[in-house]
Amino acid sequence: MNALEIKNLNKTYPDFKLDNLNLTLPSGCIMGLIGENGAGKSTTVRLILNMIRKDSGSITILGRSHECKIELTKEEVGVVMDEVGIPECLTVKQVEKIMKNTFRSWDENEFRRLINKLSIPENKQFKDFSRGMKMKLGTAIAMSHNSKLLILDEATSGLDPVVRDEVVEMFNDFTRDENHSILISSHIVSDLEKLCDYIAFLHKGKLLLCEEKDKLLSEYGLIHCTAEALQSLPEGAVRFKKENPYGAKAMVLRSKVPASINICPISIEELFVFMVKEAG
Amino acid sequence: MKGLLLKDWYMIKKYCRAYLVIAAILIAVSVVAETNLFLLFYPCMLCGVIPVNLLSYDERSNWLRYSCTMPYTKKQIVSAKYLIGILSQLALIALTGIAQGIKMTLNGSFEFKDFAVFISVMLALATLSSSIPLPFVFKMGVEKGRIAYYVMIGVLCAASFFAANVIRGEKQAEFGVNTVFAALGIVGVGIYFLSWRLSVKLFSKREM
Repeated sequence: MNALEIKNLNKTYPDFKLDNLNLTLPSGCIMGLIGENGAGKSTTVRLILNMIRKDSGSITILGRSHECKIELTKEEVGVVMDEVGIPECLTVKQVEKIMKNTFRSWDENEFRRLINKLSIPENKQFKDFSRGMKMKLGTAIAMSHNSKLLILDEATSGLDPVVRDEVVEMFNDFTRDENHSILISSHIVSDLEKLCDYIAFLHKGKLLLCEEKDKLLSEYGLIHCTAEALQSLPEGAVRFKKENPYGAKAMVLRSKVPASINICPISIEELFVFMVKEAG
Repeated sequence: MKGLLLKDWYMIKKYCRAYLVIAAILIAVSVVAETNLFLLFYPCMLCGVIPVNLLSYDERSNWLRYSCTMPYTKKQIVSAKYLIGILSQLALIALTGIAQGIKMTLNGSFEFKDFAVFISVMLALATLSSSIPLPFVFKMGVEKGRIAYYVMIGVLCAASFFAANVIRGEKQAEFGVNTVFAALGIVGVGIYFLSWRLSVKLFSKREM
């Protein structure tokens, strides 16, 4: 079963259009939704959660259409948005009681375990939490009601590297269960590179690609050479190039480049930047 | 919906304590002082704005958006505010009613008809204080909703002035004022119900 299926999804605003989006996240996998600010990541997440109305297309979450009693589906979906919307005056203990009365499958022990693991203070009010603590609490809530799918919208942005690493580790732990899946959107590509099985690039509301990360990394490479050497490569080998007076750097399809040429591994971040520039 | 109500209860305890203290003081003063409509009715109106204030805090903390990621329908999110509103209003009316009932009894001026009219007007004021701004707040957010509230206060003041000065005295019998006032409570509750239905409809269409 797929954890998430999006088909021909469209949403138009006066100044932005999410254009015919198609995505499939298989169960047990982590998909990273990468895009620059304003690319349509948050719009996609809000459409999935039915927080905004789609113009057309279909969304299926955990095998159920999101139009059919999505509030029941949300029992099994943990969500962390870029800002955790807990009222400032509440303490962790109060939040716990609220969530216990919100989610039928609230797991008190798991919440306690995560609170202790993440060293979240229980008696402080939410307003006194640092941004890192707030995101940790949001993450602990999302993972404490037997969620099968985590939807994380910029959940790691604004966090310091140590907290980010802790949170990313928690996401990794979560997907050890093969029924657990994660859709994570971010413009911090390095986090997603560590975490994801699938990568989807969004640019100006359009999906540039959606592919297995390992396949992408094995399919594409980077070469550094002179501009003349670049021109001698077979047609179709170069997907994108950057030239300057000292040489050239190009993203290439490994399969079309002669074996005699040294190809360096390409990072997801470089791949994304190249593709966005190619798309214009 | 229990979670939503619990959250609102925690917030009332934290943010609306001042309202409750002011209401308690006014009720206490109204018992010992001579009959003063301000002392009697202002706590009701104060209590009526509690749901709007809660929504204001919700908006500031992004709770409304966050709650839409939880297993709640938009109808439940709206209903929780109306429920917490009517419960707090009823509690305050009961408290004021008991205090005034004791005062009337001790003065030897207790008449059930007058008492019922008094309760009915309080109920109307409390429910109208919420009913009018809430649909605006659910549709447009708190800031614009507040404008609607101020307009509503103006309308209520004008209506009170009309009731106090125009329908008074000789015209009282002609208009059957007590009957009108007694019906106000029912009208208030009816408007509260309609306001709830409207808020559910408007909030369901709002994109979060």
